[in-house]
Order: sequence, then structure tokens, then C-alpha cells
Amino acid sequence: MNTEFAPPTPPADASASVAGPSTTAAAGAVDATKVYGIGDAEVRALDGVTVSFETGKFTAIMGPSGSGKSTLLHCLAGLDALTSGATFVGDTYLASLDDKALTELRRTRVGFVFQAYNLIPTLTAEENILLPMMLGGDEGDAEWIDTVITTVGLKDRLHHRPSELSGGQQQRVAVARALASRPQIIFADEPTGNLDSTTGAEILDFMRRAVKEFGQTIVMVTHDPVAASYADRVIFVADGQIDGELLDPTAEQILERMIQIGN
Amino acid sequence: MAGSTSLIARKSIRARLGRTIAIVFAVVAGVSFVSGSFVLADSLTQSFDGLIEDLVQDVDLQVRGTNAFEGDSFGGSEAPPIPITLTDELATIDGIAVIEPDLTANAQILNDEGDPIVVTGPMFGTQYQPDTLSGIELKSGVTPAGPDQLVLDKATADREGIALGDEVSYSTDTGIYTGEMVGTVGTPDSDSLLGASIVALDLQTALDHFGAEGLVDQINIGLAGGADIDVVQADVSAAIGDQYEIVDREFLIKEFQDQIGEFIGFFQTGLLIFAFITAFVAAFIINNVFQITIGQRLRELALLRAIGASGKQVRRMITIEAFGIGVAGTIIGIVAGIGVAQLIVAAFNAIGAGFPSPGIVMKPRTILICAVVGIGVTMLSVIVPSRRAARIPPVAAMRPEIGFAAIRSRRLVVGTVMTVVGVVGLLVGLFVSPGGTFGLIVLAGGGALLLFLGVASVSATVATPVTRVIGWPIAKLFKTPGKLARDNVARAPRRTSSSAAALMIGVALVSAAAVFASSLRETLSATLESSVTSDYIVTSSGGGGGGPGASGFPPAVVESLAALPEIDAATPFRTLDASVDGDPKSLIAVDPQAASRLVDFGNVDGDFADLTVDSLAVQEEAAQTAGLAFGDTVPVTFQSGETRDLRIDFVFADSALGSNWFVGLDLFDEVSTDRPSDQFAFAALADGVDPEVGDEAVRAIAEEFPQVSIQSNAEFLQDQEDQINQLLFIIAILLFFAIVIAVIGISITLALGVFERTREIGLLRAVGMNRRQVRRSVRWEAVIVSVFGALIGVVLGTFLGVVLSSAVPDNVISELAFSPGIIVLILVGAVFAGLAAALYPMIKASNMNVLEAISTE
Repeated sequence: MNTEFAPPTPPADASASVAGPSTTAAAGAVDATKVYGIGDAEVRALDGVTVSFETGKFTAIMGPSGSGKSTLLHCLAGLDALTSGATFVGDTYLASLDDKALTELRRTRVGFVFQAYNLIPTLTAEENILLPMMLGGDEGDAEWIDTVITTVGLKDRLHHRPSELSGGQQQRVAVARALASRPQIIFADEPTGNLDSTTGAEILDFMRRAVKEFGQTIVMVTHDPVAASYADRVIFVADGQIDGELLDPTAEQILERMIQIGN
Repeated sequence: MAGSTSLIARKSIRARLGRTIAIVFAVVAGVSFVSGSFVLADSLTQSFDGLIEDLVQDVDLQVRGTNAFEGDSFGGSEAPPIPITLTDELATIDGIAVIEPDLTANAQILNDEGDPIVVTGPMFGTQYQPDTLSGIELKSGVTPAGPDQLVLDKATADREGIALGDEVSYSTDTGIYTGEMVGTVGTPDSDSLLGASIVALDLQTALDHFGAEGLVDQINIGLAGGADIDVVQADVSAAIGDQYEIVDREFLIKEFQDQIGEFIGFFQTGLLIFAFITAFVAAFIINNVFQITIGQRLRELALLRAIGASGKQVRRMITIEAFGIGVAGTIIGIVAGIGVAQLIVAAFNAIGAGFPSPGIVMKPRTILICAVVGIGVTMLSVIVPSRRAARIPPVAAMRPEIGFAAIRSRRLVVGTVMTVVGVVGLLVGLFVSPGGTFGLIVLAGGGALLLFLGVASVSATVATPVTRVIGWPIAKLFKTPGKLARDNVARAPRRTSSSAAALMIGVALVSAAAVFASSLRETLSATLESSVTSDYIVTSSGGGGGGPGASGFPPAVVESLAALPEIDAATPFRTLDASVDGDPKSLIAVDPQAASRLVDFGNVDGDFADLTVDSLAVQEEAAQTAGLAFGDTVPVTFQSGETRDLRIDFVFADSALGSNWFVGLDLFDEVSTDRPSDQFAFAALADGVDPEVGDEAVRAIAEEFPQVSIQSNAEFLQDQEDQINQLLFIIAILLFFAIVIAVIGISITLALGVFERTREIGLLRAVGMNRRQVRRSVRWEAVIVSVFGALIGVVLGTFLGVVLSSAVPDNVISELAFSPGIIVLILVGAVFAGLAAALYPMIKASNMNVLEAISTE
């Protein structure tokens, strides 16, 4: 199975893992387990998940509500800590990082797109895009940032505040922010969940272009088969475990698979 | 249903414990100060009353001089002294067991260098005899006998390390003496007499050394057992005639108590003013917190409306919640007031006020007033928020934006109206004063209150631009966190201005006091510059306040100065009570020739030199008010009862040096019933005398009379400046409570703001803001808010200071001055206040769990 792979500095059995010949993992999890509560109230949100995300690919994580897909994303992004197992970004194990280093990692090597409230209301679109770099005190790559802004079509909205932008424009700013610092990986949590289908399609199209044209790695959690169909690869999660995957799927294939899982 | 609304209110208080505690604290701070002021005043009154009774318990009757009328000077006139020979005449009257002439006079204990010891209470001398009727008793040793013995109060002896048998020097109006300390005295309950430093001698020595010239202040009488007080009183009364009066113990106690009561009343009023300011500031905080939390609870309140609560019930719920908080805060505040009272006594005693340690007197009146203030302030503070809460429509449960529109206010219009009405009230109150003092207090006080409320809400309109300017250097210096801090302040201008308002009030009062003090100083300096042409100013040295009979210095000082060849002219300023055409005035007697040379009040008609024994000098406007003109003759009555017709021979322009009425020393000598005592004096060097030579000669006089200090104009001014600064400092200390509440207010508001922005902070953390940057951002937000409050306060306070300074008579303040140093100090203080206010919200913000924060709706 392609869901098994080689972590950067293999903690255990390196030879047992296989990675695609032309790809290295941008991020991943090894036997990731996350348990909430104790005793009778125990919930295993993640139950021994091992997964890797190839560099330069657009991966969607799908699953029903409560399947653990969001928890997986949070743990991969360093927003939440595992009960056991490991997650990594590039060659860094997240468990080995303290809060300061995690923050640094999120700022420089990870990009985020959330479902809503992605932007700081007091900052302009441009400032929001530059925010992670501003926080780190670096200028960023001006040429690249200009390319990103042009690509998302925000040139004439740069000095507007979020309240003056439409929902779609706000999400585009969020995607641009995620791209601007050229992170190793972007995590998107239901990025189109709050948008109508046309606007959502624009955002997804744009995310796919970022992968194809710029070689960006994106991992997206969604419950929408249409959104997932934009991805190169869809991983299904059910009851805290990986439940198969599809490569270059269509929306119909995904829907069919979801119905299976539901049963 | 009232039951259900109060249940929800109770639950609400419990659910938001931190916020509730903060509001309770604001109420407690206000109430405890009010309670403390009353407890202190009542307790002091009680201890003083006890002390007074101790002091006169053995005095059955007292014979003393009488005044012809009640003088114009503060605390009324002292009774004139009476001849000691009266004692022998009265001693033969049946029923008198002890008869004790009593006197107090200037006397200062000197240290080894011959300078007066440094004390903060009054210093005086008195007589002490074995069977004394006074409540003063021996604490150690024996009573003094003969010219070479003395006793001191035990507190002073202990403090100065003087032991029985030690030689002690003291100075009086007649010179410097040395005696052996043979004992120490005190009151039954204390080692001192209200913090005074006392030298006590035997009667004859006292008469000699104090320069009493056969006069004493009063004669105390103790009755023999079985004597009828009415008979003795009638006999004495017949013997002394109507030149003197005889009073009994009850009268003396009452008289003392009234005097002390007047003093405590002033003190209490002063404290209460600051207590009410504190309560007013607390009201701001309570209002602000309720306002914000109602915004935060919008959905909850709308949900209540949606499930069937009426707007009235929502309002009642908020009101009950506030009532509960008000009651809790009031109860704690009343009790805490006892501690505040002790604290104030300790503070004043630390600077030497010598208050007796007060017992705790909690009168029902205190509790009632505290309840009215505490509960009243809380309830008034929620009127507006609760009304707004009642306007929230049920649909806001689903669509909060509709709810926010409903709770928006028309503050600008109301604020502007309040500001304008406040200013008008203040100006009319201060400058027109309809209805006398009462009108002044109501109009000026009410006007200032309205002005504060108005400015607090109007300042929201300038909050955004002003805070942008304040935040500019912060954004430059602290990059993104600084910029976020600045933007967060600017995004909610109303909240910014109302949380800054509490600090604004405190700062405004300090700034107003600063302008007032600077103007006072400037006026004094200008007066000295323009009206005083002398080189030296003589004032009483040491011994604050001046005790009974311990005011001023003997005429010998000026006489000695005038006799110096280096000195061209010297004149004392000696007060003389008089009734000018039936109006009590405090006249000042001067040496006309010398005054003409030493001061320049701007001659209108005549000159100081024209004053004869039949003359009166008066300031221009004072003359107009009294309906007098140059050359008029006016009947003037003195305390002896004698009336003379005086002609106005000199009219001057400047109302300077505290008095408008002058006479010559010759007249004083003829009509005064009191021992002559000078308040201050001027002296000028003769032409061609080297100032250094002059200083040398003058210093010799100062050494001869330790009770005076002789200063150059500049030194004198510096002294006055120090005193003014000390006053400012006390005002700042009394405003401390209000400022602490203001800082807590900023802290709560900011914490609520941080709570509201949880999602945003989570996002910032997610995209790479570290904890330090989060803390920095909140910290500078607090600083911008507090500096904004301080800035508005400085502007408003400066305005108030100018208005106040203009309102007081020109002889007190005629020049306006500002002190940039104090303004800088206030702004630096505001930065620190902001840093203190940031502590709690800062920690709250940086400790947020990122995942939970971004998952918050």
C-alpha cells in the first residue's frame, strides 16, 4: 500500500517502508494514536494511523463526522499532540519540539487555510498575506509574493480589510497567505465549507494550480466529494484509522466509497 | 417571574466569577474609602472627646479674658491674657481649693547645635505645678522647681534621647535658657499632647522666661469638697467684673469639642471628596464591564428572549445581578473601611500628625451612607446596559449582528450635551456662584461630574486618530505585535475611551491640582518680584502649624534687625483683629516708614509712609466693596472694646500678601490686648552694603533667635515651593485608590477583549505568532489605552486647573502657570499603569491553547 512510507530519519524499521521513487514525504504520521478521556469515556480519535504525504501532491483526507480526520490534520500540523506515535514535517519530528519551536515551524514550514475566520480583521489583505513573514521579521521573497497575489487575482484588493472582501476573496487571501512563505506543506481544513459551490470551485482550482504550477504540497480535510475530487489522491479515514485511498479519483468514485464507509 | 430572573442572575454571577470579583472589587474600593472616612472621623472625635475630658476633669471653673467680637481669622480670636494678680484676689473666695494660673507661650527645645529640634506638631511652653488642675501628669521624675529645672513631654524626651538630669536648652520670646530635665509629662493615655513638643516650667519661671509681663491666659479653679459651684461662680463673677468671664467645665468641654470638631470636619470633608471620586471612578468601571459583557452575552440574552422572556425580564435579570454584586461589595467595603481608617491614621502619623490611635467607631449613619453609595453606584451603573439588554430582539439568537445594532447607543449627542452643560455649570458655579457656597458646590461639583461623563463619551470620537498617533512609535518599535496592538485599540474606539475614562478622571484631577499649584507658586513668585523690594524675609522656623499661643515671633527680632547698621529698614507684619464699621477684618500692622521702603503694592492715593496712629490703609477693590474712599473716616472697633475713628490715608492697587487692610504699629501698641507677635517680617540692606556682609550680620540675628528663619527671597520661594509640592503629593496619594481602580478597569476590559478575540489570537498563534509576541501585543495595547486616558486627562485637567485658578481671588492666584515636568511624569506613569494593567490579560492571552482557540466560534 502506498499509505506506508519512509519517515525522514526512520525511528524503527526503515527497510519495511516504501516511498514512491520520485517523491519524498513532505509530512506524515507513524502509528499516530490520540485518545481523549479515560476509562469508559475513552475515545480513540486516532488509532494507529501511519500515513505520508508526498511532496508536490494535493492530498484530500475524507471521512464522516467524528472519523478523526480533523484530529489527524491538527496533529500533523503541530496544533495538537499525540497520545502515542509520531508526526513529522519534512525531517522534523513534532514531538521533539517545544512550544517555541512548534510556533517557528508553523510560521516557516507550514501554511494554514481554515474554514472561516482566516484573517485578522484589523489588517489589510496584503498585511494578512505577509503576516507570518512579518511575525518572523523577514521580508519574504517579493517576486514570489507578487506572483502569488497576481495568481489569486487580488492585486486591486490588497489594501482592503477583510470586512470589505467577499467570502471567496477572503479565502483567496487565506490561500495566498499560506503560499506566500513557500511552506513545506499547507494544511487546509474544509477551506470551501463556508462558500457557495462556484466560489468554492474557484478556490479549489486555485489550490490545484498551486500544486501543479508551483509544486506546492497541500493536504486538505473535507467531507465534500466534489472538493476531494480536485486532489491527486484521497485518503479515507474511519473510526480513527486509514480506510483505503483513491488516486486521481472522480467525485462519483469518492461518493461511492463514502457510502461504503458509511455502511 | 422574579424567581426565575433572580435564579438566572445568580447563576450568571457564579458562571462569570472572575469578572464578578473584579466588579465587586471596584465597589469595595469605593465603599471602603467612604466607610473609612466616616469611621476615622467618628473614631477621632471619640478619642479627642475622651482626651478633652481628661484634660479638664479637675477644672471646675475657669476665669479668662473676653473679646469684644468674634474675629475674622481662622478658628476665631484667642482670648486676651489676664493679669496674674487676679489670682490672689480670687484665692480668698470661699469654696476654692486650688487656684492655678495657666499660660502657654512660644518655646522651642534646642538641640546641641542650638537649632530647634525638628518636630511636626506644634511646640510650646507652659507652666507645671505639683497640684495642677490640668490633665497633664508626670510620667517620670518630679515637678520642676526654680529657674534651672524643666520637664518635657515624654514622647519628645524619648525621641531626642534626653534622660532625667540632662541639660536642655530652649528658646522663648525673651531669649535662650538652659535647665535640667527633672521629669517627663504626658496625658493619662499618651506620652504626648496630640503630638506637641512641650517645655513645662514652674509658674514663676514660666512667667519670667516667657515674657508674660504678669499676664496669664486663664486662671483655673478647683473647688473644695462640698462647695456649691453656683455660689462660687457668682462670687468670682462679682469679684472680676465684666472685663473677664468665668466659665464652667461643661462649657470648656463643649468649646474644645467644637474646635476639634471643626478641624475633624474639614479633614473628613477632604477625605470624603476623594472617597466620592473613587466611587465615581468605580461606577465607570462597573458600567463598562456590564456594557461589554452584555455584548458578549448577546446570544444568551437573545436566546432567553426567544424562549419567551420579556425585555423587562431581561432588564430585571441584569439589575438583580448588579444588585447582588452591589450588596456584596458594600458589605465587604464597609468592613474594609475600618482598615482604611487605620491606614490613613498610620499615614498621617508617619508624617507626624500625632493622631491618637482610633478605636473603631462604626455608626449606623456610616453603614447607611455606604449602602447608599455602594448599591446606588452599582445600580446607576447598570441602568443603561440593562436597558440596552432589554432591547435585544429574540432573532439575535440566530443573527447576532441584528442584536449589536439594537444595543448601539447615541453617545455622541448625549456626550456633547453633557460636556456643554457640565462646562456651563462649572463656570457659572465658580464665577457667578448663585446661592453662595451651596450653589458653588452644587453647580461646580455637578458641572465637573457631568463634564467627566461627557468627555468620557465624546472622547470616543477622537480615540481612533489619537491612539494611532500614540501607537505610531510602538508599531515602529515592536513591529507586527505593536501594529496589532495599535489596530486593536483603534478598532473599538468606544470601548477604548470608556476603559480609559476612569484613568482620565484620576489624571485630570492630578493635572488640575498641578496647574493650580504651579499658578500658586508663580503668583507668589511674581508677587515677591513686583511687590516686595526687600532682601530678607523673616518667618517662624520649625514646629509645624503652631500650637496654642505658639504663633509668630517676638518683636525683638525685627528690632534687632533694624538696629543693625547693615540693615536700612525692617518691618514686621503683625495681625490685629478689628471690626471695620461692624465688619470683622484681620488688619496687619506695619512700620509705615519701613513698609514704604520694603513693599510696593502700587500706590493709588497716598503712601505707606503717610500712615499715622489715626490712619487705615486699604486695597482699592476692598475699599469699594466696603463703600470707602480715600480720605473717608470709618469707626474701627478692637478686641478691647475700644472704638476709634480711622481715616483712610492710603489706597493701594495690589491685593498682595494675603491682606487688604493695614495700620501702623503705633496704633497696634495702643489698642492691642494681646502680646505682640509677628507673623513675618521684611528687611532690606542699606545702600552699598555688600550682600555677603549683610548675610553675615543677618545670620547672627537668626542664631540669637532660633525661633525664626531669615531667608533671602529666593530661599523663601523655594521653601514655599516645597510646601506646595508636598500638598500635591498628598493629593496624588489620596487619588491612589481611584487610579488603582482605573488600572484594574483597563485590565478587566482588556481581558474581556482578549476573550472576545480568542479565535483571532488562535489564528495568529497558528500562523506563527509566538507567546512572547502575543504578550507583547496585549501589553502595548494596554499601554496605548492608558496613555490615551492620561492624555485626555491632562488636557481636561489643565482646563479645569485654569478655570479653578482663574476663579480664586487675585490675591491668591493672579498668574497662570503649567508644569511640563508633572505632565511628563503623568505620561510616564501612564505607561507603567498600562504595563500593570496588561499583566492579567497578557498571561490569559499567551496561555491560550491554540487548537481550542481556533475552534472557538
